[in-house]
Amino acid sequence: MKNNLVSEATVLNELKKALVETLQVDEGVIKPESSFTDDLGAESLDFLDINYRLEQAFGIKMARHFLLEHIEEMFGEGTAIDDEGRLTEKAVTLLNLRYGGNIPKIEAGIDMDEVPAMLTVGPFAKGVLDILNTLPDQCPQCSSSDWKSEDGMKVSCGSCGESAAYTNGDDLIVAWLTNVQQEKNIF
Amino acid sequence: MDGISGKVALITGSSRGIGKAIAQKLAHTGADIAITYRNDRGSSRAKAEALQVEIERNNCRSILIQSDISKKDSVKAMIQAVSDGLGKLDYLILNAAKAPFKPIEKLFERELKQLVETNYLGNIFCIQQAIPLLEKNHGKIIFLSSLGSRFFNPSYPLGSMKAAMEAVVRDCAESLREKNISVNAVCGGIVKTDSFKVYRQYWDHLEKLPDDLVVETSEIADVVAFLCSPLSKGINGQTIIVDKGLSSTLIRQ
Repeated sequence: MKNNLVSEATVLNELKKALVETLQVDEGVIKPESSFTDDLGAESLDFLDINYRLEQAFGIKMARHFLLEHIEEMFGEGTAIDDEGRLTEKAVTLLNLRYGGNIPKIEAGIDMDEVPAMLTVGPFAKGVLDILNTLPDQCPQCSSSDWKSEDGMKVSCGSCGESAAYTNGDDLIVAWLTNVQQEKNIF
Repeated sequence: MDGISGKVALITGSSRGIGKAIAQKLAHTGADIAITYRNDRGSSRAKAEALQVEIERNNCRSILIQSDISKKDSVKAMIQAVSDGLGKLDYLILNAAKAPFKPIEKLFERELKQLVETNYLGNIFCIQQAIPLLEKNHGKIIFLSSLGSRFFNPSYPLGSMKAAMEAVVRDCAESLREKNISVNAVCGGIVKTDSFKVYRQYWDHLEKLPDDLVVETSEIADVVAFLCSPLSKGINGQTIIVDKGLSSTLIRQ
C-alpha cells in the first residue's frame, strides 16, 4: 500500500510551517538533523500542538503516545523505563530499530526526559509519511480507486467524496512493535 | 487596581498561558513579579525572558527563577530567590501544573507519582516554604483550579489533583487564619491556552463550543487580581468559578 498522493516535500514544508508557528523559530534554522528540544526549543506541550497542526493539514491522526509508552502498554510497566525513570537496554534496542540507529547519544541508563532532545526533524517527517502511506487501494466507502487531492495535502475519494482513511499513528506503532516482537522476540 | 501597587507576587509556571496573563495583569497594576518556569532546555526560558522585558517596561521589578516545584529543595531555592531578589512576598499564585493526557486507570505508577508530586505535593511545598514571608504582610495564596475538579473531562487526570487542592485551599484558609494569610482559588472554565490546543485533540466537541463560553486568560487574571486586592478581604477559603456560566447548565442546545 503506497498510494500516497502527498509528496515528501509537502510533508517537510508543512512540518516546517507547524514548527515556525508553534515555536516561533526562523524557518532557516530547521534542518532534518535539528533536535526538537536543543535546536528548536520544543517542550512537551509544543509536540502536541505540532501534531495537531499536521493532523489538520493532512486529515490524519498522529500518534498520541510515544514509542516508550507503547512498549510499556504492550509488555508491562518497567519494560522500557526503570523505577528511576531511566531507559532499559530493550528500550534502546527498540528506539534504534525504530529510528534506524539515527539517535546519537542514546544508551541504556539515560533519563527518559533526555529522549525528546534526541529526536530530530527528519524521522518525525518520516512518521507523517508512514501514516500517509497507509492510504488503502480502494475507498472503504464505495470501493472506488479514484483518490484525489486538489491541494496536494488533503486526499478524498474522487467518486464518493469521502475523506481518505489512514491508519492512525498509535495503531501504526502498535503494529510495528507487534511485528518486531514476532521477528526478534525481544521480550 | 488600588492596593496592589508595590506588592510582590510569585507566580509559578508563568512563562505562558494563564500564569503569564496573571503576571501581565499584576504588573500592569504595579506589582513586582517573580516569574518561574520549569524547563531550562525548551522554549520556556525565552518566553519568560520576553515576559520579564514586558513587565519591566511597566516600571515594575521582575526576576526569573527556574524551578521544579515537585522538588522540595527547588522550592526552597525559589522562595529564597524571591526573598533575595524582591525583598518580600505578598502573593503566592499557585499556577504551575503538569500532567499526562490519559484516562486515570491507564496511568503507570511512575505517571501517578509525577501527577501527585507536581500538582499536589509541589503546591504544598510552595505553601509551606512561603509561609514565613507571607505572614509578615497579610499575604495571600491563590490557587488556579479548573472545572476538572468537579466534572469529568476525558483523559484529564489533573482534575483529581485540582479537587484535592481545592480542599487544601479550604483547610489552609482556616489553619493560616492566625497568621493573617488568606487562601482562595480561581477555577477556570475552558480557556484557550497551550494546554487547550492539546486538549482539543482528546475531546472532539471542544472546538464546537460557542465562543461566548470560552474564557480568556485575561479574564482569569482579572479575578486573581481582585482576590489579591483589598476589595476581596471578605473572601477566604473559597473557589471562585470563572467559566462564563458553562457549568451552570446541564444541557445546552
